[in-house]
Amino acid sequence: MKTFNTLLLREWMQHRFGWAMLVLIPLTLAVLLLSVGQIQLDSQTVEEVGAFFPTMLAAISLAGTTGLLFVLGTVVSLFLISGLARRDHADRSVEFWLSLPTSHAQSLAAPLLTHLVLVPVAALALGIAGGVAVSFVVVSRLVDVGAWFTLPWGQLLGATLATFARLAVGVPLAILWLLPLILAAVLLGAWLKRWGVPVLLLGLSLGATVAQQVFGLAWPARQLAYLALQAGRSLIHTQQQGFVVENGNEMAEALPKVVSFMLGDIAPAIGLLLSPGFLAVLALSAGLFWLLIDWRRRGAGVAG
Amino acid sequence: MNAPQEQAISASALVHAKGLTVRYGAKRAVDDVSFTIPKGRVVGLLGHNGAGKTTLMKALVGLANAEGELRVLGKHPKRDRVALLQSACYIPDVAILPRWARVDDLITLMSGLHPSFSAERAKGLLKRTSVGLRDRVKVLSKGMVVQAHLALVAAIDARLMILDEPTLGLDVLSRKSFYEMLIDEWCDGERSVLISTHQVEEIETLLSDVLMLNEGKLVLSISLEDMDRRFVALSHDASVADEMAAAHPLLRYRGGAGRDSRTSVFDGTPPDNVLSLGQRVRPSLVDLFVALTRKPELDRQHF
Repeated sequence: MKTFNTLLLREWMQHRFGWAMLVLIPLTLAVLLLSVGQIQLDSQTVEEVGAFFPTMLAAISLAGTTGLLFVLGTVVSLFLISGLARRDHADRSVEFWLSLPTSHAQSLAAPLLTHLVLVPVAALALGIAGGVAVSFVVVSRLVDVGAWFTLPWGQLLGATLATFARLAVGVPLAILWLLPLILAAVLLGAWLKRWGVPVLLLGLSLGATVAQQVFGLAWPARQLAYLALQAGRSLIHTQQQGFVVENGNEMAEALPKVVSFMLGDIAPAIGLLLSPGFLAVLALSAGLFWLLIDWRRRGAGVAG
Repeated sequence: MNAPQEQAISASALVHAKGLTVRYGAKRAVDDVSFTIPKGRVVGLLGHNGAGKTTLMKALVGLANAEGELRVLGKHPKRDRVALLQSACYIPDVAILPRWARVDDLITLMSGLHPSFSAERAKGLLKRTSVGLRDRVKVLSKGMVVQAHLALVAAIDARLMILDEPTLGLDVLSRKSFYEMLIDEWCDGERSVLISTHQVEEIETLLSDVLMLNEGKLVLSISLEDMDRRFVALSHDASVADEMAAAHPLLRYRGGAGRDSRTSVFDGTPPDNVLSLGQRVRPSLVDLFVALTRKPELDRQHF
């Protein structure tokens, strides 16, 4: 466990500055732009919402900031992970890491866990924290400072934390569904270097199209759509039923509904794993991970 | 030496290789190499560029696919790589520390990743260098990176140290300091070092044994004591060059006791009539290296 934790620590040491910038720059820009820029609102909506307006602003600020940092963190992580096999090659430090008594499996698993799960979840948490600051700027500008302090913070934070809990469970579940594609990208990056991801994207899209148009086989495209759908459902909104807010009067009851919906959605998301489709996903992921280990065991592409 | 004696030596050897071959496609980078490294030895691995030194070292630490018999610290390098590297330390190429890291970051990481690493010892060794703990690798000169890496590796309490060109980029004072640290503090009669280098003259006095590779093949595996007994160098006058040549020395070259003198190196004791033509001198490792690994078309015997 100590070895694995140290490998996780390595990721923090290597990327902490980049992660800090990834959080601080968008937040700073958001606060600055919202402080001095123009914010246009639909007057009809404002009238409909009525007394709930400040709460709505705070909720949108929280959701928007959290969403922004989550998307940025996830996109950057996916980009970094696609180059996992060949990172450390530019400065040849891969030979330093290979000279240490760490197993190939641990050396691969630590960055995968960090960038695919820990970073997106951390981005959610930091997004919430940043969203509180953004909500202060927005509510203060469009209503007044006092309104921010009298917001129903219990309900707002309850809904926020329930959403965070749902997404914190959903992120690793969604990653599990997408793992074959992610590992395929990493593996192709090992073999083809910078051409790995383009080849994967081209291969999947072209392969599915050719299979369907030329050979009349719809299953490749269906399988890709299945993976994407299961990942999306695992991330958020597994349950068939949701709830709709039809007018401003119903908004006051929306926040408690968010809490019950989000928390009630966790079990069904986990339940998606109990399917033959997921077993196939796991088996494929295990095979691809083994190929990565084998590549690393043969010297990780370092010339002899 | 009989078979049971050989078996006893193999059993106590830190490294035992028999029929070791490493291929890269059709090319045999290491070709049917057999040797043992007992404990308490400082072994020099010599060879021209492309002779197979790096490949051999990689095979010893499980980073190259090898055929044949190979045991390092009693373990199979490929199968037991993690366990092996807990008792062995390896510098593949000294200028390879991660450029994003600070030196104290590396100490923290090594402390967590290597069970035999001592952070205190690493810091003590670094104090002797010009490298600061808060220095980032990317701002260090090549020589300072080498010093930092050597300090980190020397802080590992390992039984076997495998060093591939460890002093490349170091100035002469730093090289001397490293060799002194190696001999005075690391080599204790139980640990062994395998070191490859092109600075043969510098390291000759430190070595107890030498392995010479030429195009993947092991052309010499001998202790320096046996080397002195087996190889004979005669310093002689140029006028007896033809008689010397007729005795088929391994190598002849200009240089020796006098201005117009030559030196001839023999494998084994030459006949008495040849011995009487010159003065016996100690063959240097460089002489033997040239004699055993030179290409025929670069024969330096034409004078």
